[in-house]
Amino acid sequence: MNALKFNWRTLVVILGIIFLLIYPLLGASSYMRHLFVLFFIWAIVAANWNLLMGYAGINSLGNIGFLAIGGYVSGILAKTFGLSPWLTIPIGGLTTCLLVTVFLGLPALRLSGIYIALLTLIFADSLPSILTQTREITGGAMGLHEIPPFFPGMTKTGAYYVSLTFFLVILYIVYRVIHSSSGLAFVALRDSENFAYCLGVNKFRERLKVFAIASFLTGIAGGVYVHALGDISPTTLGIEPFLLTIAMIELGGVGTFAGPILGAAVIVFGNEFLRLADTLRLTLLGALICLTILFFPGGLMQLVDQVERWVIRLLTKRRDLSKKE
Amino acid sequence: MLEVRNLDSFYGELQVLRQVSLHVDAGEVVALFGPNGHGKSTLLKAISGLHPPTAGSVKFQGEEIAKLPAHKIVERGLVYIPEERHLFPDMTVMENLLLGAYPPRARKRVKSNLEFVFHIFPKLEMRQKQLCSTLSGGEARMVAIARGLMSETGLLLVDEPSIGLSPGMRKAVFEAIAAINRERGITILIVEQEIENALALSNRFYLLKKGQIAFERPTDQVDIAEIEKAYF
Amino acid sequence: METIVNTLISGLISGSLYAAMALGLTIIYGVSRVFNFGHGVVALIGAYLTWMALQSFGVPFLPATLFALAAMFLLGVGIYRLAIKPLLQKPNWEFSTVLFMLGAGILLENVLLQLFGPRVKSIPTFLTGRLIIGFVEINGHELALIAIVIIFIILLSLFFKYTRLGQAMRAVAQSIPGARVVGIDIDRIFSYTFGLAFLVTGFSGILLGTKYYLNPHIGWEWMVKGFVITTFGGLGSTTGAIYAAIILGVVEALATLYLGAIWVWPIWFGMFMIILLLRPQGLLGGRL
Repeated sequence: MNALKFNWRTLVVILGIIFLLIYPLLGASSYMRHLFVLFFIWAIVAANWNLLMGYAGINSLGNIGFLAIGGYVSGILAKTFGLSPWLTIPIGGLTTCLLVTVFLGLPALRLSGIYIALLTLIFADSLPSILTQTREITGGAMGLHEIPPFFPGMTKTGAYYVSLTFFLVILYIVYRVIHSSSGLAFVALRDSENFAYCLGVNKFRERLKVFAIASFLTGIAGGVYVHALGDISPTTLGIEPFLLTIAMIELGGVGTFAGPILGAAVIVFGNEFLRLADTLRLTLLGALICLTILFFPGGLMQLVDQVERWVIRLLTKRRDLSKKE
Repeated sequence: MLEVRNLDSFYGELQVLRQVSLHVDAGEVVALFGPNGHGKSTLLKAISGLHPPTAGSVKFQGEEIAKLPAHKIVERGLVYIPEERHLFPDMTVMENLLLGAYPPRARKRVKSNLEFVFHIFPKLEMRQKQLCSTLSGGEARMVAIARGLMSETGLLLVDEPSIGLSPGMRKAVFEAIAAINRERGITILIVEQEIENALALSNRFYLLKKGQIAFERPTDQVDIAEIEKAYF
Repeated sequence: METIVNTLISGLISGSLYAAMALGLTIIYGVSRVFNFGHGVVALIGAYLTWMALQSFGVPFLPATLFALAAMFLLGVGIYRLAIKPLLQKPNWEFSTVLFMLGAGILLENVLLQLFGPRVKSIPTFLTGRLIIGFVEINGHELALIAIVIIFIILLSLFFKYTRLGQAMRAVAQSIPGARVVGIDIDRIFSYTFGLAFLVTGFSGILLGTKYYLNPHIGWEWMVKGFVITTFGGLGSTTGAIYAAIILGVVEALATLYLGAIWVWPIWFGMFMIILLLRPQGLLGGRL
């Protein structure tokens, strides 16, 4: 039965990747290609956030700030100093990693639970005021515009494939982190700090590591964001993208690898439909988050697991019956 | 007064109590012995509703209380005095004692209960304005017992009152417990590691081993060697 | 000299309003260890309800306030019963309540937006005129605000010290097992605590609404300030929160005077980081 379980999941992933690879060739509209780029970026953000929140048990609320730092650094270097995005994106990632590790990772070593939530929220919340004070470089409240694309003369399809590559590579890294010894250490730490300690898990080192990885990869996503979309402004740091990402993780299933990706898909594409609801959109989003947490804490992945178990039971029964005959 | 029948209790997957039955009659002092980690505290917590039992019955004054929440059980006069004391650290001794009188029934008798408490623990009267976080271990133990007495109790479950105390303090605590029973007629079920001291003040005792009652004896037919053997 | 004194006074005024605002956050956290990430919107709801009673129903100020406070109490009890209580029974309650209240915050904020629209509103001041003593000038209304906050804090501390319910709340804040041993119904106390904290927070919203303006989005700004104050004073310590609010209010006024308003937030953030790194238990620590 495990083979069956393994097989269909692998199959879905392979089919999904093939679909994403050929999708633009199927005559997808420019609008849909744009939505997919958004999906790739937010899935990276959500997956890395979930690495902190769902696996390492670090209650971070500041991950949109990581995205913004990576985006601004890469955007400014490319636009103002004319560097190639292929150089500025990693620089953006490293800068994010450095800042986050110093300002959040190190203090977070001594803090627990709610303090980390407060620290990270206030960290992200202080970025817009820094941006408005550094208007000459960052564009202030107006933000940065006309940021150079990945390569000159890039089309929507080009942006699609570059973001898809980042999406696949980064999610693969996240997957490997989850299934590495560090990933296991995170889970041990989350479930029982004492037990993890007995296993010889160094809490400080693992926490720093996960902050470094998640912030670096989210910073990279920020670079992808600015060079694929062309602009960034303090509204990215507003309450809406923040809650949308929380909703992705919660709705998809916190603490699962596939959950946040699934959640990102539902929210990015669903949000477009929600635009029809206009001003009610955020009301519905808030209600969605509340209802998911209250009644559906395992998210969509819980539903997938349930359906899978149900199907397997059905298949097993049939096979048993055929054996008897 | 207290009638426990076939009590089962779990911590997660782990079964701590198996089919425990015991009874305590009005006015008695009953001791509960047994090796550490074999379920003595769990039994007291199960009876007092702090860690509700999974199965079995607990009757107090003829009424079933096994399914009641902890505060309802305290309101009926069954009071648990935890080994960990669980005082309110940033409140004074007096505030702690008055909170002991939280149940409505107890509030009406605050004055006489306070008099009794200061009578058996004269030291607390001097310390009444002191914050509990600044008390010594022995004084904190006294406050814990005194706070339980303030709840207008009929049956006191006392969990290892002498643990961690100096010999002099231990003696004072045992004397106080004897006085509670003698002067107020309060029924007592006491868990203790100090077997000899506990035997001196109780009528009967039970021995709890591996979550089951191993045996029960009146204290006048006691054989200490038998108890000690049960510990190994 | 003149400017310094007047700046200090305006710092004291905003500090005392911040104190009132941070109290509700501290009370909930102190008793139940739930951190209310919908705090700002709760304060706003109190203010909007009062505004509605004043403007739409035309009732006088006092009954309007009482109506709002009663509604806030019920809202607090309702949110606890419907959502927080079930979440507390699950293992990851500490963060699930955070996310839930964030979601509820954005939900309620947008309900306010639907009901009252985006336009700025304000609650009329109670007093007009100025008090002038030498070179010190105080707005009559602001003097009244300080007096109200002081009276309010005294009433609250009397409540916690001398009433049975208040004592039970402190007992739960200091030791939940101890509270259970003396026969306190924890669930009931949590429920009243949410009611009380929402009432206090709503009241602070009314006061803030008379000094500053109201719009459905201002709550987040209030909330983040409340977070810094409660952390600075020590999570769950009411006295700490009051001192922290006054200190931050005065620092804010001085920073505005000498460095410019743009530096206010970086200074708040800096003080927050320093206290977190040096004394995570906050200025005073201690419990309710």
